[in-house]
Amino acid sequence: MQAAHDIALSVKDLKTYFYTNNRCNKAINGVSFEIRKGKTLCVVGESGCGKSVTASTIMQLLPALSRIEQGQVTYHSDNGDVEIEKLERDGQEMRAIRGSEIAMIFQDPMTALNPVYTIGFQIGESLKYHTNLNSKEIRERTIDLLRDMGISLPEMRVDDYPHQFSGGMRQRAMIAMAMSCNPKILIADEPTTALDVTIQAQIFELMEKLKTEHETAIMLITHDMGVVAELADDVAVMYMGNIVEAGTVDQVLRNPVHPYTRALLDSIPVLGKGKDQIISPISGSTPDPYNRPIGCQFAPRCSYKTDVCDVMPEEVNVDKTRRVMCWNYKDLLPNGE
Amino acid sequence: MLIYIIRRVLIFIPMLLVISFLVYGALELTPGDAVSALINPEVSGRLTEAQFNELREAYGLNKSFLARYGIWLANVFQGNFGHSLAGGVPISTIFLDRLPATLELSVVALLFSTIMGCILGTFSALKRGSIADSSLTVVGMLGVSIPEFFFGLVALLIFALNLGWLPVGGRLLPGYDSIWDRAPHIIMPAMVLSLMMTAGVMRYARSSMLDALSKEFIKTARSKGLPEWRINLMHGFRVALTPVVVLIGFRLPLLIGGSVIIEQVFQWPGIGNAFIAAVRGSDYPLVMMIALFSVFSVLLASLVIDVLTALIDPRVRLN
Repeated sequence: MQAAHDIALSVKDLKTYFYTNNRCNKAINGVSFEIRKGKTLCVVGESGCGKSVTASTIMQLLPALSRIEQGQVTYHSDNGDVEIEKLERDGQEMRAIRGSEIAMIFQDPMTALNPVYTIGFQIGESLKYHTNLNSKEIRERTIDLLRDMGISLPEMRVDDYPHQFSGGMRQRAMIAMAMSCNPKILIADEPTTALDVTIQAQIFELMEKLKTEHETAIMLITHDMGVVAELADDVAVMYMGNIVEAGTVDQVLRNPVHPYTRALLDSIPVLGKGKDQIISPISGSTPDPYNRPIGCQFAPRCSYKTDVCDVMPEEVNVDKTRRVMCWNYKDLLPNGE
Repeated sequence: MLIYIIRRVLIFIPMLLVISFLVYGALELTPGDAVSALINPEVSGRLTEAQFNELREAYGLNKSFLARYGIWLANVFQGNFGHSLAGGVPISTIFLDRLPATLELSVVALLFSTIMGCILGTFSALKRGSIADSSLTVVGMLGVSIPEFFFGLVALLIFALNLGWLPVGGRLLPGYDSIWDRAPHIIMPAMVLSLMMTAGVMRYARSSMLDALSKEFIKTARSKGLPEWRINLMHGFRVALTPVVVLIGFRLPLLIGGSVIIEQVFQWPGIGNAFIAAVRGSDYPLVMMIALFSVFSVLLASLVIDVLTALIDPRVRLN
């Protein structure tokens, strides 16, 4: 375990359920993790596994029909710990944290900016509500932020509307908005999925720079293993609302001990291996969230399945930094451990 | 922007020409003419065909269709809008008399319905699924589906005849023209006229607002820690406004061109009332001018919509 002062945010046994048509979708079903200061935690997993819901839960940006059922989200601020799940959803304390202490950037910069206001106005809004700057200072700070994000001629572009920006520039503007109040934690929900690869690299470079310069803790949600290898310090692999495996990036990518992580890594084509390489997709498909398997959620698709898998496994600490949720993880450990 | 507006106004001219020809032709196809409408049937039974033709000649009705259209058009271009066949009054005088009444009614109805429609629609969207929202939805459906003359008659029955709170019709009594004397007259026609529009605007504002609130940028705004009122009004409502403005703009000519039915029900001395009288009397110079005026207001309204949407939504470029 890390010393407490190194940790920016800790989540313990979090459960978030969605209620629709009298049915309950256990979108997050007991998730625990920590985000370290100045480090990047990558959360990976298939679509619908609960990555984005986890992010929304931290920010209390959940839709109206969902509820945090159980668990704690503790933000370790400079002025002591804040139990986020206890705050009123859109209350004053929660709003004071949003955008100022914990900021978020979204998947699609095309729709995440309001089309009828200028970029400058939208970045300035954060500053207006979280700082005491007057309007002239806000404008100067906004221009500085845009310049820091590598937007040329920020004095002119600040008065542009989102539709006059390219996709990459909009995501930079989104990051400028998120970073405007120097948040302690930045949550990035697939920030480059909608962008092309060259822009993607630039955006990640920018986030890396922010991390080292401002000691910002980053929670990066992605399904791109290449991005994980590049940026992550810690990795959490999610499947059907649980973190099935968590650890440092080296541990998880080099020696995955959960069958799902291993299957996930096997299903990625590797550049340079040529077109004859064997890619093994994970058999079957993710279960219906309303009709889940009884025991281990991955068991029906798992090649290591045994009889014990009909019971839901507990989280087991493999070593100091690594956790796994599997009965048979020992079979996957490399020899000698 | 200015060049765009000028260009749009110039396009009005050919459109008005074409439409005037169509309206003139349609009038030609209606049975009977001004002479037969002007003369009391008891009298006309005793007139000979020669006397009819004499009258037609006097009114210039014996020339061919195209010739009459040509003469009419030439007069209009010289600023001579002609005389009403029924009373011999210059049409420009009729317009000057009637237009203020119509505008008065329209402006009150438009303002009321726009403001109420937007407020109720936004409220409905924010309280989605609540009892208030459901009841507003029912009221909205009733407002849209029940014809306005029915509302007019019911309102007359209740407020004018049974309760006696408001006058039965008309705009003002001679000699009583202070605002306090006028107000009771306009309340009922304006309310009935706005009722339908309020319902329409409300339904539209509600769905437009729900649409805006489901957008990703609302989540962004919330993630910035903005207060709810700012998220709903500045980010939601502002975006929801564009389609609502278009709807209101399309209603504009209906109001200006004479709310024919309401003016009739309440005996409001406006353009719409004059229009009905003119059509009944085959008073074709007057029908022509009122029809052209309606067309002109439709064109003008579409121009106003374009300019307004460009002002509200920066993505719309007029060049």
